[in-house]
Amino acid sequence: MENSNDPKVNRRSFLQYALAGGAATGVANLTIMKDLFAQAPAGPIVIGHHVELTGGFASWGYWHDKAARKAVDLINQGGGIAKRKVVLATEDTESNPASGARKLRNLIQRANAEFVMGSVHSGVMLAAIPIATELKTIYMSMGEATEATGSKGTRYSFRTGMDTYSIAAAGVPWCMENLGKNWTVIYADYAWGQSHFQETKVIVEKLGGKVVGNIPVPLDAKDFVPYLTQIPAETQVVFSIFFGSLSVAFYTQSKSMGIGKRAKMYSVSGTLEAIAPADIEGAAEGVYILENFPRMLKYKDDGFHKEHNKIMELDDIDAREAGSKRIMAKSHAWQSWEDLYTLKAAIETSGYKTRKDTEGVIRALEGLPMKNSLGHPQGDKLLRKEDHSGILDCYISLIENGRFEVKKKIPKEDLAKNMPVRHDLSKMPV
Amino acid sequence: MIARTTIERGLLWGTGAFLLSVPWLIPALADRFWVNVIAEILIWSLFASSVNLLFGYVGLLSFGQALFFGFGMYGVAIGVEKLGLGFWPALGLGVAAPVAMAFVAGVFAVRLTWHYFAIITVVFSLIFYFLALTMKPLTGGDDGISFTLPSTFRFGASEWGFAQEAFQYLFILFTVAACLYAMRRLLGSPLGKAFMAIRDNDVRASLIGLNVYWLRLIAFVIAGFLAGLSGALFAFFGRYASATYMFYHVSGEAVVWTIVGGAGTLLGPLVGTSLFIVIREVVSTHWQHHSLIVGAVAILIVIYAPRGVVGLWRDLLDRWSAPKS
Repeated sequence: MENSNDPKVNRRSFLQYALAGGAATGVANLTIMKDLFAQAPAGPIVIGHHVELTGGFASWGYWHDKAARKAVDLINQGGGIAKRKVVLATEDTESNPASGARKLRNLIQRANAEFVMGSVHSGVMLAAIPIATELKTIYMSMGEATEATGSKGTRYSFRTGMDTYSIAAAGVPWCMENLGKNWTVIYADYAWGQSHFQETKVIVEKLGGKVVGNIPVPLDAKDFVPYLTQIPAETQVVFSIFFGSLSVAFYTQSKSMGIGKRAKMYSVSGTLEAIAPADIEGAAEGVYILENFPRMLKYKDDGFHKEHNKIMELDDIDAREAGSKRIMAKSHAWQSWEDLYTLKAAIETSGYKTRKDTEGVIRALEGLPMKNSLGHPQGDKLLRKEDHSGILDCYISLIENGRFEVKKKIPKEDLAKNMPVRHDLSKMPV
Repeated sequence: MIARTTIERGLLWGTGAFLLSVPWLIPALADRFWVNVIAEILIWSLFASSVNLLFGYVGLLSFGQALFFGFGMYGVAIGVEKLGLGFWPALGLGVAAPVAMAFVAGVFAVRLTWHYFAIITVVFSLIFYFLALTMKPLTGGDDGISFTLPSTFRFGASEWGFAQEAFQYLFILFTVAACLYAMRRLLGSPLGKAFMAIRDNDVRASLIGLNVYWLRLIAFVIAGFLAGLSGALFAFFGRYASATYMFYHVSGEAVVWTIVGGAGTLLGPLVGTSLFIVIREVVSTHWQHHSLIVGAVAILIVIYAPRGVVGLWRDLLDRWSAPKS
């Protein structure tokens, strides 16, 4: 035992040694532990969900959240992903790009999410992609802004669902053939509406039709009469793009003005998503809608769809939740379910173990085929290699007696043919 | 007994040392995520300082500062994405555009005071918000414009830019610190004294020969500069700009942060912004309705500490350091 009176060790030098020793041990510990965890990924795999639980998109976000939770339970019951339990980390984007960007960092840097299932809100999604790319994290986009898998896409952004480009490519050719060639596009005057207008116009004109009316409607419009009266007399197809309450107001007022009697009405699933036609007192009767997951089970009548509906607690007619009045946002929320299985397939195929292996998952996702199954109840599809876009079956439905009655299935092969690759993301550096 | 100034100076140095060490200290103690949260607090506190300059020192309550924040963001995003500018020219555009806008808006707005002034600033903000929302080819509307970051400095093969987290944080810290220091100097100058004279009594100020209209306009443009610079920094920080940031709700948040932190005090906006953003970050992960807590805290502070947290702190210090009889 050393003498505490030893001149070499006094109180001050002892404290200095203790502090230096502590610091050195701490640094060494941090370094060793860092490598240790980097090499031993046996723990759960964290997947982030960047979802709208509050704000303008909350009625859709509820379903995205529910679909993701149910799918995670299902995956974990089946042994997880690559034998690792899946932990779902959920963050509410508040339907706001500023919050969304922050919540994405939260998911990746705080919750340690290795992959993120992204937002259905285009603004949030586009704000998130540069951050996800910088943090080298795969982001499965769900919004419809075409930029996510186009001009603003990166190797890290993928979308199994649809964008304004694929929606136009899927629906317009059939409508041109069956509804008419003179189109008026009436839309909410913001990014989503304008994007639909631009993509639709291109395809209408390419197929020999004409856009005779272009009617942007301000977001704060209460009365549609001044806009509906602008629809030119020669219009054969009125293509409408509105969201939520604006959509209900449009359908109600256009019906009362008899627009549907002088032209065919066409729109996309987003305008009636999470809304039952019967609940708006027949205002949407006679409107053709492009869906990608039939609301009624009988139009994709297989065990996987049936089981999906059962797990999601939906009726098979209106997709209404048991014990509530909620209608599933069916043509969008399936992505939160299926994307987990898409990631599972890519992670397992690539042999992913840690974040260092993300490039392998990207390569596995590029061109990944998905088979109709419980993991992919929407049906067979392909995640196209070049533009990271989902190529999937779509359906033209007509609202009859308050129900979505499918009139035509648009096979994914036709969709692929009508939407040539515009951006090759697979050649971008990782 | 330790003097009040000694305590405040010590606290200031301590905070400064902490802020300087954040990029290294935080990752060793907590999630890296907090480095970005603190960077965001700094940016938003600069934004709140623009409200503070107008409200706390000139007596003008503006609900339109988001307009200049948005112009700052779009100056950067359009500069980088549409005009192909580098970091510094884009930053220059992100500052020049809101300053020019502040001058134009100010020419009309500062003729008015109190609720009329508040209303006209909201109206300006709403006009440009809706314009930005509809001008998708230029602004991206509510989808916004995302862009690839240009490097900030380049020496040969070496590059420094916002993609490096520590560099990004320190750049924001030094910019915000420089602005707060400049604001402190300004408030201590004859111009700053003139601002405060107008705040206290504009009629008396005009009677002693101050040109109230021009002085208010100068303050409005300086506040536009602060809001614009914070927007430009936020665009680089988020690699994104969107019309949603121009909504007057964004201005309202800055007003709340300023009042709660302490309007008319240099560091009040920093304190208020920190308080609310930290509450939000801690609570929002567990509970979506965190804004209820934020609202409750704001109400309590306004009722029980009308001079804000900084005012409360100073009262406590005064009471503590007062000589006991």
